Parts: sequence; C-alpha cells; structure tokens
Amino acid sequence: MPKNILPKIFIDTAKRCGFNTILMQKISTPHLYVESNKIISVQKIPGLRIQAESFREGVRLKLVVKKGVKIKEPIFFCFGISKEKGKQMILPEIILEEKAEAKILAHCTFPRAKNVFHQMKAKIKLEKNAKLIYQEKHYHGQNFGAEVLPDFKILIGSGATFENEFIIDKGSIGKLKVNLEAELGKNAFCEILSKIIGKGEKDNIEIYDKVLLKKENSRSLIKLRGVVFNGGKMIFKGETEALAKNTRGHIDCQEIIVGKRSIAESIPIVKVNHPEARVTHEASIGKINQKELETLMTRGLSEKEAIDFIVKGIIK
Amino acid sequence: MKILKIKNLSVESTENKKKILENISFDIEEKSIHLLVGPNGSGKSTLAYALMGISRFRIISGKIIFSNKDITQFSTDKRAKMGMALGFQEPAYFEGITVENFLKAGNKNISQDKLERNLFLVGLNPKKFLSRKIDRDLSGGERKRIEFASVLVMKPKLMILDEPDSGLDIIIYREFCNILENIKKETKASILLITHQKELGNIADQATFLDKGKVTYNGNFRDVMKKYCQFSKRKKICQKTYCPKFL
Repeated sequence: MPKNILPKIFIDTAKRCGFNTILMQKISTPHLYVESNKIISVQKIPGLRIQAESFREGVRLKLVVKKGVKIKEPIFFCFGISKEKGKQMILPEIILEEKAEAKILAHCTFPRAKNVFHQMKAKIKLEKNAKLIYQEKHYHGQNFGAEVLPDFKILIGSGATFENEFIIDKGSIGKLKVNLEAELGKNAFCEILSKIIGKGEKDNIEIYDKVLLKKENSRSLIKLRGVVFNGGKMIFKGETEALAKNTRGHIDCQEIIVGKRSIAESIPIVKVNHPEARVTHEASIGKINQKELETLMTRGLSEKEAIDFIVKGIIK
Repeated sequence: MKILKIKNLSVESTENKKKILENISFDIEEKSIHLLVGPNGSGKSTLAYALMGISRFRIISGKIIFSNKDITQFSTDKRAKMGMALGFQEPAYFEGITVENFLKAGNKNISQDKLERNLFLVGLNPKKFLSRKIDRDLSGGERKRIEFASVLVMKPKLMILDEPDSGLDIIIYREFCNILENIKKETKASILLITHQKELGNIADQATFLDKGKVTYNGNFRDVMKKYCQFSKRKKICQKTYCPKFL
C-alpha cells in the first residue's frame, strides 16, 4: 500500500471539502503540500516549475507555467497546520506565461485550530492570453480558533482570464480577512466568487475584493454568497473601478443572517472614469426567505433542515 | 371515513392579531375531492395555512383532527410527515436548487422512475425539467406545475392545493380536471382544492363556501352553489363566477 503523501487529518478535511483526494494523493499529480513551515511534498510536470523554500514561520514558493503550456490536470496546493496552535505564512508567486493555462485547487486546513494564525500574501501574474482557475477551499476546524488573512495581488494581462473561487462552508471560521486586488489589461476578464458560511458568534468575516478595469474591453464580476449564524459578523466590500473604454463590471452580493445578533454588511463601491464604461451592482441582505422556509416545512423538513437546504442552494 | 375534521376553528394572524377565520367546521371524506370556494379575501388560503400549521397564523380555538389524531398543536413538518401536504398559490423560488433536489426534499427515497412519472403527470417533460433550477427563469405556470409535482411525490393522504389552476394558461381546465381525477384514482389521496374555477365543480365530491372568514354553506358542490346564489347578497358575483353551468 503506498504511503500517504499528506497527513491523514488533511486528507479527511480535503475530502470533507469536496476535493478529489485520490487524485490529490497520486504522486504524479502536480502539487505542493505544506504543513506549518515544512514542505511535505512537491511534484512538477513538464512545463510547470515549482520552487519552494521554507523559512522560520512559513514557506515561500514560485510557480511558473511556461509559455503556451496548457496543464489539463489540476495542480493541488495544501497549506495546513495540524496542531492546535501555530503560525504559518505562505508567500506564493504564481506566473502564467503567455497563452499558458492551469487550474489550481488549494486547500487551507487547520482542523484542530484553537490558536492558529495563517497569513497568505500571494502575487499572481497572468501574461497575455493566459488563463488561470484558482479555487481555494478552507477548513478551520470547529473551535473558532483560527485567524486567517489571505491577501492576493493579481495582474491580469491583455486577453487573459482569471477565475477565482474562495470557499469556506464547513466547520467554524473564526477571524477571516480576505483582501484581493486585481488589475485588468485590454480584453481581460476576471470573476471573483466567494462562498462563505459562518457558524456562530465568534465568526468575524471581512471580505474585500477590488478590481481595476484599467484597459479597454476588460470585464469583471465580483460575487459573494454569504451566510452568518447566531451572532456571527460578515462585512463585504466589493469595489470596481472602470478607467477605460467599453469596460464592464458587476458586483453581486447576497448575504443571509440567521439567528439573533448576526450582522451582515455590504459595501459596494463603484467608480467610473470613462464615458463608455459601465459598472453595476446589486445586493440583498436579510433573513431567510419565510416563504421558502414554509414551503420546505410543508414538505416535512424541520426548520433547521429547511435552513440548511436553502443555504446550500445559495452557496451552490 | 373522514380524513380531516375541522371543529369550531378560529384563527388569527400572528402579525396583527386580526381574527381571520371564525368557528369553521367541516369534514373531508377519505379519497374525495373537496372544493373550498369563496370570494377573494374570504379566508380560503388562511384556512389552508392554518391546517398545515404555518406559524404566521395562530389557532385561537377549535380542533383539527387528521387521520383520527388531534394535530391542532403539531408543527408543520410533523403534519407533513403524517401525510398532509400543501401546494402554495404563489410558490417560492429557490436559488441554486434544481427541480430534482426540490422534489426529493419531500421524499428522499423516491425512485427516479417515480420522480419522472410525477413530473410527467403534471405535464412537464422530466428530461427537460429535472436539472432546471427553481429560479425566475421558470414561467409562473411551470413553477406551479413543479409545486404540484412536489406535493405528489410526498404521497400524502391529504393534498391541500391552493389555486393550482390559476396562471396555467397552457393547460386547459379539462386537462387539469383529468390530472386531478387520475391522481385521485392513482394515489387514493383526498384533495382539498381551493379554486375560483367553476369547471372544477364537475369533479368535486363536496364543497364548502367560505365568506368573510365563516363557512356559509357546506355539502354537495351544486347544492352549496345553489344555496349561495339564492340567498347571497352577492348574487351577481356568484352567478358570474360559479353558477350558470350548474344551477
């Protein structure tokens, strides 16, 4: 029987978050796995360069997909802390050269977190006509004991596409502050989607997504689907600034609060500096739709089951 | 045998404490189609919600006996599990939920064949609709049929259908009557049908006329409508809406 590449606890949380753990564990799958500041495993493939080095509190890495290389299988990242306490700093630099294509599936996992601090400072650069799908799924345990600060600076070159999905829908969250800034070149496109389900009053969530439509015909979509339960707090700030001809941006936020003392806030910021640009936004914040709840209860679901059903739909 | 007995039921809104139904009493026979008719605002939908235990309405007094059990204090989901189901007049939309998942919410163990059969029964092509999302891309009529199918998949003993025929432009009422009669034969369920369509009188076994929150007449559909038209001050409305064909 081949030895597990990842600690079992990370495999379990990855499975829970919906990752294909068989593929993730396959030695030939391109990947980088990190536990605290230790590099557990790296796998490169032709056309993909991964360099990683550890330092006292984390790992610095550089991932390059070579010009014109289209990597069909996903590249897996796993950054985790298996202990109750710990600090981790991840400093990735991701470059997709001209016409390169890749999909990165990242799992950030802190399953026993009671006093865990994780910070990521990522720089992503997509050169002309490159395409990157970057999906990050988090698991912060059940104890509200994580403080997680992901920070992304993204440069999207002309004709390039960046699709980002940030998901945390299992377990507690604790303190989460996501900061993402993307700058788009001519004919570039980006979609930034966050799906977040809080669990209780110790959840304190801030999401700040900012897009700069710098060059003509660039387009963007910022989308948030969030739910906070029982006293949790979520603030979403979505900002789009359009500076060039024919740029289009949209911000779409839907937040639901369940239980007393839960707070959700949405701050859309829209700036347009060109007469032929257009940026729109829509937001809705409120409690679970009563009619949806009643309908499901008349189908035999308890109130809790009905809420879970509705929330899953929204997050989907 | 009676599937449902409503005894001296009075109901108020929990929002403004306004009394909506007063001293309602009537029974529904097993395996029957029972029409609940009456002008707009007479309390028909409120009665449907109160029977299902929807929390927007509070029972002030009276009893609801379903399958020989007093369910007056039961929660909505408990009533549903006992075999009652309500199809809403204006069904809710669910973001991100497919028709298949919505239908399965009412019966997790239903086979794929039966799921498809129920959609087919309400005039929807399963291949086209099972993977559709229950969102605003559906027409009002399509959403109504899905609502109806979602009640059917529960295999309830009593279906309460709140104006399932309104907004169904495509279906002719004869077809809708056939669907109801087939359902009655196939499922052996009782149906409490709230409607404004006089054509549905043809398939009804019994009827109750509700006006201003009270039962005005109760019994055979034709007798109920006849009595109402003879004695009602709203003769004109009544004749226009219900009577000409049946009296």
